Amino acid sequence: MTTLSKVSIAIQKRFGRQRLRKTILGSIPFIVLISLWELNTHFVWFEPIEIPPLSHVWEAIFFLQSDCPGFVAAFEGHYECQLSNHILSSLGRVVLAGVVGIPCGIAFGILAGMNRVVSGYLEPVGIFMNSVSGIAWIPLAIVWFGVGWETTLFIMLNTIFWLIFFNTMMGVRAVPKVLVHGVQTMGGSYLDTIRHVYFPGAMPAIITGMRMSLGFGWRALIAAEMIGGDSGLGFMIFVSAVEFKTEEVFLGVILISLIYLISDRWMLVPLEKWTIERWGLVWKPT
Amino acid sequence: MSGEAKLIIQDLCHHYPDEYTGESVHALEGINLQVYDNEFVAIVGPSGCGKTTLLNIVAGLLPYREGRAMVDGVDIRGPGPDRGVVFQEHAILPWRTVARNIGHGLELQRVPKEETRRRVQEYIDLVGLTGFENRYPHELSGGMKQRVAVARTLCADPVIMLMDEPFAAVDAQTRITLQDELNRIVMATRKTILFITHSVEEAAFLGDRCIVFSRRPGRIKTEIKIDIPREERVWSKMATNPKFTEARDEILRLVRQEVTVDDEH
Amino acid sequence: MTSIDYQQTRRFKLKKFATEGAGRLIIFLIGSVVLWAFISAFVVERPDRYLPSPLSVILSSADMLYKGSLLSFYSDTLFRLVFGGSIGILIGIPVGLLLGLNRTVADMFYPLLNFFQSVSGIAIFPVIVIWFGNSDTTVLIVILYTSFFPITFNVLSGVRAVPVRYIQAARTLGASRMQVVRDVLLPGAMPSIAVGTRLSIGFAWRAVIAGEMLAGRPGLGNMIFSGQEFDNTAQIILGMVMIGITWIVLDHFLLRPLEADTIERWGLVQR
Repeated sequence: MTTLSKVSIAIQKRFGRQRLRKTILGSIPFIVLISLWELNTHFVWFEPIEIPPLSHVWEAIFFLQSDCPGFVAAFEGHYECQLSNHILSSLGRVVLAGVVGIPCGIAFGILAGMNRVVSGYLEPVGIFMNSVSGIAWIPLAIVWFGVGWETTLFIMLNTIFWLIFFNTMMGVRAVPKVLVHGVQTMGGSYLDTIRHVYFPGAMPAIITGMRMSLGFGWRALIAAEMIGGDSGLGFMIFVSAVEFKTEEVFLGVILISLIYLISDRWMLVPLEKWTIERWGLVWKPT
Repeated sequence: MSGEAKLIIQDLCHHYPDEYTGESVHALEGINLQVYDNEFVAIVGPSGCGKTTLLNIVAGLLPYREGRAMVDGVDIRGPGPDRGVVFQEHAILPWRTVARNIGHGLELQRVPKEETRRRVQEYIDLVGLTGFENRYPHELSGGMKQRVAVARTLCADPVIMLMDEPFAAVDAQTRITLQDELNRIVMATRKTILFITHSVEEAAFLGDRCIVFSRRPGRIKTEIKIDIPREERVWSKMATNPKFTEARDEILRLVRQEVTVDDEH
Repeated sequence: MTSIDYQQTRRFKLKKFATEGAGRLIIFLIGSVVLWAFISAFVVERPDRYLPSPLSVILSSADMLYKGSLLSFYSDTLFRLVFGGSIGILIGIPVGLLLGLNRTVADMFYPLLNFFQSVSGIAIFPVIVIWFGNSDTTVLIVILYTSFFPITFNVLSGVRAVPVRYIQAARTLGASRMQVVRDVLLPGAMPSIAVGTRLSIGFAWRAVIAGEMLAGRPGLGNMIFSGQEFDNTAQIILGMVMIGITWIVLDHFLLRPLEADTIERWGLVQR
């Protein structure tokens, strides 16, 4: 056998033939797109102001950070470190809203879901609150909090809370009562049923809620930053668009997508695998 | 069988409103029953005769207003570890391994980990699930899940074990295996058991006493004693044992009476 | 009929809704309005700015209805949604089907579609604005973009998910390529078409509101935005309520039943 085929077989064995095939095939369209992009820069089918050269987008990173005194200063939010500030602002809001919104949503959702009557009445509330999309809250939030980080944080928090609350509540409601009875007949207390039955039983719904709130919440946050914010990635691309700095807009859009993809793919999906797939449960989202 | 009555039910009656029509359903009428220590009592009757209702009341999952129900002299007021239940749908938690499911009762009673582990292993071996300690329920067959349920209830060491048609949801072959195993377990643990079934064969095979229920409203029609020592309760021997076949045929006849009356309507 | 059959009939479900569901709904509505009025009147300072009472919202809506602006905004928004959404879906379904037919092609485009599905229309918005300015075209393009990818992705996945043995079965009956597509793949993809449609419309609806807000085009989104600009909070609340109700009606009474019925009718195949 030639060296090439030996190497090829070794690679296939290591990574799995199907996975390898899918990765290679899947990257082709991206490679084509990027090539077209580069060709556009060369042949100028579209003006640079409409489609900036790839190199400009890359350089914009450094341009935005140009007056930044250093890594530590960037971390602390020095005002000249524009790009990192925007990224940190947006991420910070996500984290803060998540840390507050998710536990609250789960707690209220479990309590509401355990009681048939309460959940019956709160179901329309949840449906309605989730139907007024996070984005529609933006003008009201601006009235209440003015333009700034409070508005953007509120939007994200609001979106997360209602989604998690509703999903958790419905998930808890769907837990078969016989499982609760099983624990009760072994001497389990009220708290035990929550910890051992309702919470794990609602886990698929909770995780679905988390994935949905990441998706919807992130979009709403970007929109909130565009309309009513003074910092963050959404704000950055909006301002750059107004100033026709297309390369910064492109950069921002790429960063926005990357952050979403990374959090979903490498944080939430593994979380899903670790719990509900391991337990053999499947939840069809409502 | 010692003379001590573990479960005493006196003049128990139960009504409940039907969910769809709102009318009052008369589920149980004048039930008087006693289950003694180390006894295996099987309750058999036509569908809808209230046997599951009775079990739920004894388990404390259904509140009752008329009559008395006591375990070890204490009125039944709610579910508790003194009355362990094996449900028809096994009800083991899908997110816990076999070992953690079986040890759940002990965990709830705050038994130290070392002892829990020891006792859990005992019961895993008893029900024949050695090697499956770390599997999740969705990886097990129906029969194995039911064994986990039985082991779980046993491990929590209840005063009386209530079993609600536990083998109804498995296939015929597995059912026979599980019945043999239940006998073996009863011999080994000497538990007091109240067992609900609508299979006459099963009731006669397993029960020291078979209580035949009438159709709704459920009354105790009659009681049939089956005087065969547990060691001899093996399918190969039972099939030819006249005590078994006569008792079984008698129970069948009695149950048929209740069912046929229904058919005439 | 037996008890179980009766429970499944529409009549029973309707009856249950009328007694339980509608009763709860009415209590919910009345309760919310009362709570709202209470908070507005007693808890909040300067209610006309921060939380106008239900009454002022109703008056505001009556006023706008009278002027005809409410209806005009509403129809503008709905038109954009239906127009943009339909085109996106009508293009997306055939594209998804075509791409899904061949395993290699499907594997090639799966990550790309997945990627663009997560780049939301809202993030794309500034790019479109640079290209086309603050115009109706911009909003429409954003809606098109937002509604195209979810359905295409879903249809592609749906076609790929049709069990091979169904295709083989058709082949052993002598079906040609075209017939396999028509008799196996298309019906097999129906559930995912239904699901994808619901997703697409959902995303598109959010994009419409955001797009109108950002581009300043007349419509519901702009209505609530200008409500904020001109200190007319009652208008904001009115708009929000209308948005919520529209989505509830759209989703629960149109899209979900459509999806459920489609899956029931065609849903022999997993998605």
